[in-house]
Amino acid sequence: MTWLVARRELRQRGRSRAFAISTAVLLLAVVLGVALPAILSRNAKPERVGYVGAVTPAVSRLIEQAGQIAETKVVVVQQPDVASAEAALRSGDLGVVLVPGSKVLVKQVSQGGTNSGTLPNALAQLAGLERLFAEVPAAAAAAAHGIALPVHGLEAPSSSLGSRLTGLFTVVIVWVLISAYGGQIAMSIGEEKGSRIAEVLLSSLRAVQLLVGKVVGIGLLALAQVAAMVVAFVVAGLASGSSLVHGAAINIVLVGAVFAVLGYAFYCTAFAAAGSLVSRQSDVNSTIMPVQLPLIIAYALSYTVIYANGASTFYLVLGFLPPTAPVAMPVLYAAGDVPPWQVAVSAVLCAVATVWMARVAAGIYTRSILRTGARVRLKEALRQA
Amino acid sequence: MSLVELQLDGLRRRYGTVTALDGLSFDVPAGEVFGFLGPNGAGKTTAMRAIFGVTALDAGEIRWRGKPVDEQARRQFGYMPEERGLYPTMKLAEQVEYFATLHDMDDRAAKKAAAYWIGRLGLSGREDARIDALSHGNQQRAQLAVALVHDPELLVLDEPFAGLDPGGVDDMRQVLEERAAAGVTVLFSSHQLDLVEDICEAVAIIYQGRLVTYGPVADLRRGDRPRLAVRVGGDPEGAWSRSLDDELGEVEAIRPGGTVLISLTNGGDSQRILDLARAAGPVEHFAFEARRLSEVFRAVTGASVGQAEAEHAASMAGAGRAAAGVAR
Repeated sequence: MTWLVARRELRQRGRSRAFAISTAVLLLAVVLGVALPAILSRNAKPERVGYVGAVTPAVSRLIEQAGQIAETKVVVVQQPDVASAEAALRSGDLGVVLVPGSKVLVKQVSQGGTNSGTLPNALAQLAGLERLFAEVPAAAAAAAHGIALPVHGLEAPSSSLGSRLTGLFTVVIVWVLISAYGGQIAMSIGEEKGSRIAEVLLSSLRAVQLLVGKVVGIGLLALAQVAAMVVAFVVAGLASGSSLVHGAAINIVLVGAVFAVLGYAFYCTAFAAAGSLVSRQSDVNSTIMPVQLPLIIAYALSYTVIYANGASTFYLVLGFLPPTAPVAMPVLYAAGDVPPWQVAVSAVLCAVATVWMARVAAGIYTRSILRTGARVRLKEALRQA
Repeated sequence: MSLVELQLDGLRRRYGTVTALDGLSFDVPAGEVFGFLGPNGAGKTTAMRAIFGVTALDAGEIRWRGKPVDEQARRQFGYMPEERGLYPTMKLAEQVEYFATLHDMDDRAAKKAAAYWIGRLGLSGREDARIDALSHGNQQRAQLAVALVHDPELLVLDEPFAGLDPGGVDDMRQVLEERAAAGVTVLFSSHQLDLVEDICEAVAIIYQGRLVTYGPVADLRRGDRPRLAVRVGGDPEGAWSRSLDDELGEVEAIRPGGTVLISLTNGGDSQRILDLARAAGPVEHFAFEARRLSEVFRAVTGASVGQAEAEHAASMAGAGRAAAGVAR
C-alpha cells in the first residue's frame, strides 16, 4: 500500500515539467561550476616571455619555474637585443622580457608596483637569485639543496579556498534540495487535506502509510537528483581535467550528499506535519516557516566559516545539532574545522534524531490530517490522543 | 427486509461540547437502496466516516457481516464523501486506476475496471483530461467512478444527490439501483428528505445523533394512521370537517382550496368519512395520500427539518472553536 502511494508520487512528479526543469538547472549549475574554471585555466594563453640572448636549458628552466610560481604557462621567445624586445613588448607580442643580469621589462608597471606572485615579479626574484649564485659561488653550493626554507604551521593545515568554495556550493544545493522537496511535501499534503482527498484515501489506507508513501516517493526523486548531481560533478570534473575531482573536494561533495539524504530524512516528516496543520493549501507557507528556520540560520552563518580561519564554537555546536547539521557539517568539513570522525558522529546523531522526528511528526500528521475547520494549533495536535 | 450485512450499534461521538452521535443504532439490508436521512447536523457524516475509521468513535461498534469492521473489510467498501476529493492535476483514468489499486486490484484489473466505469458513467473520451479540466458534473461522475471502480460490497455515499442537475440525479439513481440489484449494500445520506423519498426503498432518519424512525419508505409514509385527503365541492374552507368525529379521524390540516387532510384513527372507517363528506356536498376528491418524509420527520420530532437545521447552525456558531471539525 505504501509503495502504491510512493509510486503515484514518483510517476506524477517525475513526469512533471517542473522536475525536468529543476533537474536540468541543477545539473547545469554543477557542470558549469566544475568544468568552467578548469576549461578557462586550460584555455588561457601562455604568457610569452622574451629573453634577450641565447636561450639555454638553464634559462628555460628558470623561466618555467617563474611561471609555476605565478601559476601561468609560459613560452620563452628568444630576442636578439633589448630594442627589438621593447618593440615586441609595445606591440603586445610579448608580456614580459628578461634582460639577463640587468632587469625585467614590462609594458607598464601597475600602480603600487608589481605584486608578488605575478610573473614579472617571480622572474625578477629568480633572475636576481641566479645573479647572486653567479657572483657568490658559495651561495650556489648552499642553495643546491633548495633555496627556500620549509614553512611549518602550528595547527593542522587549513583548507584551500577551492575546498571552501566547493563546500559552500555543496551546502547551497543541500539547502535548496531540502527546502524545495520539503516544501513540495507540505504543499501536497496541504492539497490532500484542503481538497478532502485525504478522506477518500484514508478510507482504504492508514495515515502512516499515506505519510510514509509520500515522503519515500518524493524522497526517491530527491535522491535521484542528488545522485545525478554527484555523477555530473565527477564526470564533468574528469572530462574538463578539473583538479576538484582529485583533491579534497570530492570528499566534500560526498559528505554533502550524505547530509542531503540525512537532512531530507530528518525534515521530510516535519514538513509533512506542517502541511497537515492547514485547512487550505495557501496556508502552507506560514506553517513551514518555523520548520525551515534552523536550515536558514545554518546557511546564513555558513559564510562566517567559509571566509574565516577556524569556526566559532557556536557554529561547531550547530554542526552537531540534527536540525542544523545537514547544512552546518558539510561547511565545517569543507573548511577543515572538523576531523572525519566528528562528521560521522554528527551523521549518527542526525540519523537517530530522524527516527524521533518521524514519530512525533507522524503523530501530528495522523491527528491533524482529517481535522477540518480552523488551522490546527501545534499544541493541540501534540496533545490530543 | 432482506439479509442485513451492515450494523451500526450504539455509536457515540462528542466533539468538545457538541454531541454528534448519541447512541445511534440501525441495520442496513443488502440488495436495496437504503437512505440515511436527517437534517444537516444530525450526525450522518460522522456516522459514515466512522464506518471507514476516518472518525474515531467514543463508543459503539460497526459490524460488517457480523464482525467488527477492520482494514481488510474496508478495502471492499466504496466511499464517496460529501466534500468531494480528487487530485486536481491528475488525469481522470490514472486517478480512477490509482484508487482501484488502493483497493487491492492489480494494475491490469485496475486499468480494465477504470475504463469500464469511465465509459459507464459517460466520461468516455475524457480519460486523459485533468480532473480540474472537467466540468463540475463530470467531476462528480469521476468521484463516483472512484467509489465504484473496485466493485465494492458496500457502497457508502454522503449526499450523492447534492448539487446534481435532474439528469445527474437520474443517472446516480440508476447506478445505485443497479448496484443494489447486484446484491451490494447501498447506503446513501441526504438532508433533502422529500427529494429522495422515491429513490430509496428503506430509510433510517436521525436527529441529534439518535435514530428517530426506521423502516421501509412505503410504511413510514403511510404511518400507523393512514391519511385521507378529501375535498367537497363548494366548500373552499373545508368547513364540513368540523363535524368529524374524533373516533373516526383527526384533521391534520386543511390545504388552500379546501382539501382536508385526515389522520384515520385506528380502526376508523374511511367509508363513514366519505358518507360524511357526501352529506356536505359533491365529493370532488377522496383518496389515501402518502405523507412526505419531511412530514414524518416533523411528526416524530416535533420540529421541521428547516427548524432543526437552523438550530444546528446556531449551536455551531455558539460552540465556536470547540466545534471545529464537527461534520454533518
